[in-house]
Amino acid sequence: MRGYPARRRCVISQAIGESAQTIVAVHQLAKTFRVGFWARPVAALRQVTFEMRRGESLGYLGPNGSGKTTSIKCMLGLIAPSAGQVALFGRPPSDPLARARVGFLAESPYFYDYLTPNEVLDYVAKLYGIDGPTRRKRSRALLGQVGLDHAAHRPLRGFSKGMLQRVGIAQSLIADPELLVWDEPLSGLDPVGRNEVRELMGELRRQGKSLFFSSHVLSDIESLCDAVCILDQGVAVAQGKLTDLLRADALESVAHLGLPDDGGAALLALQAVPLSHWEPLADGQRVVLPTAQVAELCRVAVQAGATLRELNPRRDSLEQLFLRKAVTRRQDSVGSPA
Amino acid sequence: MSAPHTTASGVVLRTSGPLAALLRMSAVASNTVREAGRAKLFYGLLGAAILLLAFSIVLSDLALVDQKARLVQSFGLAVIPLVCVATATLMGGLLLHQELDRKTLYAILPKPIARSEFLIGKFVGMAALLGIELGVLVLCWWGVLHLRGGTLTGALVRAFGLAYVELLVVTAVALVFSALSRPVLAGVLTLGVVVVGRTNYVLADLLAATKGVFVEVPAMRSLGKLLVAVVPDLSTFAVADPVLQGWVVPWAYCVSAALYGAAWVAACVVAAALLFERRDFT
Ligand SMILES: Nc1ncnc2c1ncn2[C@@H]1O[C@H](COP(=O)(O)OP(=O)(O)OP(=O)(O)O)[C@@H](O)[C@H]1O
Ligand SMILES: [Mg+2]
Repeated sequence: MRGYPARRRCVISQAIGESAQTIVAVHQLAKTFRVGFWARPVAALRQVTFEMRRGESLGYLGPNGSGKTTSIKCMLGLIAPSAGQVALFGRPPSDPLARARVGFLAESPYFYDYLTPNEVLDYVAKLYGIDGPTRRKRSRALLGQVGLDHAAHRPLRGFSKGMLQRVGIAQSLIADPELLVWDEPLSGLDPVGRNEVRELMGELRRQGKSLFFSSHVLSDIESLCDAVCILDQGVAVAQGKLTDLLRADALESVAHLGLPDDGGAALLALQAVPLSHWEPLADGQRVVLPTAQVAELCRVAVQAGATLRELNPRRDSLEQLFLRKAVTRRQDSVGSPA
Repeated sequence: MSAPHTTASGVVLRTSGPLAALLRMSAVASNTVREAGRAKLFYGLLGAAILLLAFSIVLSDLALVDQKARLVQSFGLAVIPLVCVATATLMGGLLLHQELDRKTLYAILPKPIARSEFLIGKFVGMAALLGIELGVLVLCWWGVLHLRGGTLTGALVRAFGLAYVELLVVTAVALVFSALSRPVLAGVLTLGVVVVGRTNYVLADLLAATKGVFVEVPAMRSLGKLLVAVVPDLSTFAVADPVLQGWVVPWAYCVSAALYGAAWVAACVVAAALLFERRDFT
């Protein structure tokens, strides 16, 4: 990721999965469902392109119905895309060897309700060809890790949504996968549970796992991810490192100026720069200006004898970024309907 | 043997090779048996059949002394396969549908298992379940027969063996329909195949006759020919009547009937797997 400008990263090479570091490559993915008697087409995905590097923690972000779950199902081969390709570890999702390295948690997971968490994990572990003693050892450890050891021998029938979510998380980890694909892992959990899962995610990252998870809770993404992909109405509208994205889109900067003793003259000089906001501070002046004007501000400030104490790009919140991306795209598409 | 894959923290995964595939399919199969074993429908059908068998004790009291065992025999040969066919029709369609409906498949298919392996596992599980059901019922029936002074002859055992082949064919047909459509429709279609299949010879007779709608109306004639061609001839496996009249089914017949059944099962499982392979799980 380092050294690449954010926008360049959105361009995916045609040869998918070419790089050893790229573990997920989604290229121009589209999916149209046919609904109802007349098989009316519903475009769930139109243009989804993104890449994920090894060790990265990528947040998949988008409003309800933007196509997160649909694209995740395409990534795991549950749905065949109408167009475009997906590569997991350089292989198509239909290849079991690729899927063997992925741990998947479905949105609101559901399992055989006549099984106990132990039995679910045992069943799932068999599908990976894990031997008996290891199956038992890992089941016990994982159920402890997700806080379900007290319910390990109870059938899932009576489980709450949050408990099922924990079973889902445990089963996704059974084969020690390199990549975790979790669809809304934090939904359905109480505050304590959310915190536990957040900590688990941090721990998994420290172990070097790659994390791909969807959410529409922006603060979770901000605190857990180093990269994001934003989806809106079936289109990936932005992708990149969170810090780069937020900074690259910072259109304004904030400067903190120290004024000389005769502050009045300096202030007058500063009026020449088109500032969008200014406010006096105890020891100077705080100004907000378009980033393009920063050079001009510096020049004027030096001439007027003011000192530049601090200069920062005004960091968008993820929320602002998201809203701007989504709204801009919608306005664009009104101009030129697809 | 292909090499196992060891993960970063030392977990050994065996995902390739025939042994691993066998383990996966047996995991699906045993879960299928377990699922049915915890379903009320299965116990309902089993209970109903056992009640009917118990009823045959009462019924045989009405018969003449030398007819008692014979009545139990004919009762068992009629009722047991019928109940098992009902199980195959209902559960064969339902089991796959439940996986789709409850989205339990989302936890299974993203694992390194091929869809065809999953389907074969389901079929084997159903086959095992039906074997258990048939076995339990035959045991109960044997008890009743013993009580009424009858014996379990080799001819009777072979008749039940053929009934089991029929069950496998019906299950495979149910699997195709449930990979294709909704459970109610799948059940109805399977039932249709069972009815047409069991009376296949009637249709064949009608087609060979000199008069009747199947001879005179061209459309009906084509339909009749089509049905005879595409529906498995289940009457091959229904040997209850001749067995009761003292016919000992020859081994050669058993073998050819089993091969006929196996061919239908193979064709249906392949068709179901192909249909399943193309399906979107949304
Ligand atoms: N099986 C289906 N048939 C028809 N349309 C579908 C189907 N599945 C999804 N869609 C449509 O595709 C779009 C994307 O749905 P999807 O579930 O992927 O959204 P999402 O981003 O996961 O939303 P959420 O945040 O609510 O989970 C929606 O408009 C939805 O109605
Ligand atoms: Mg979703």
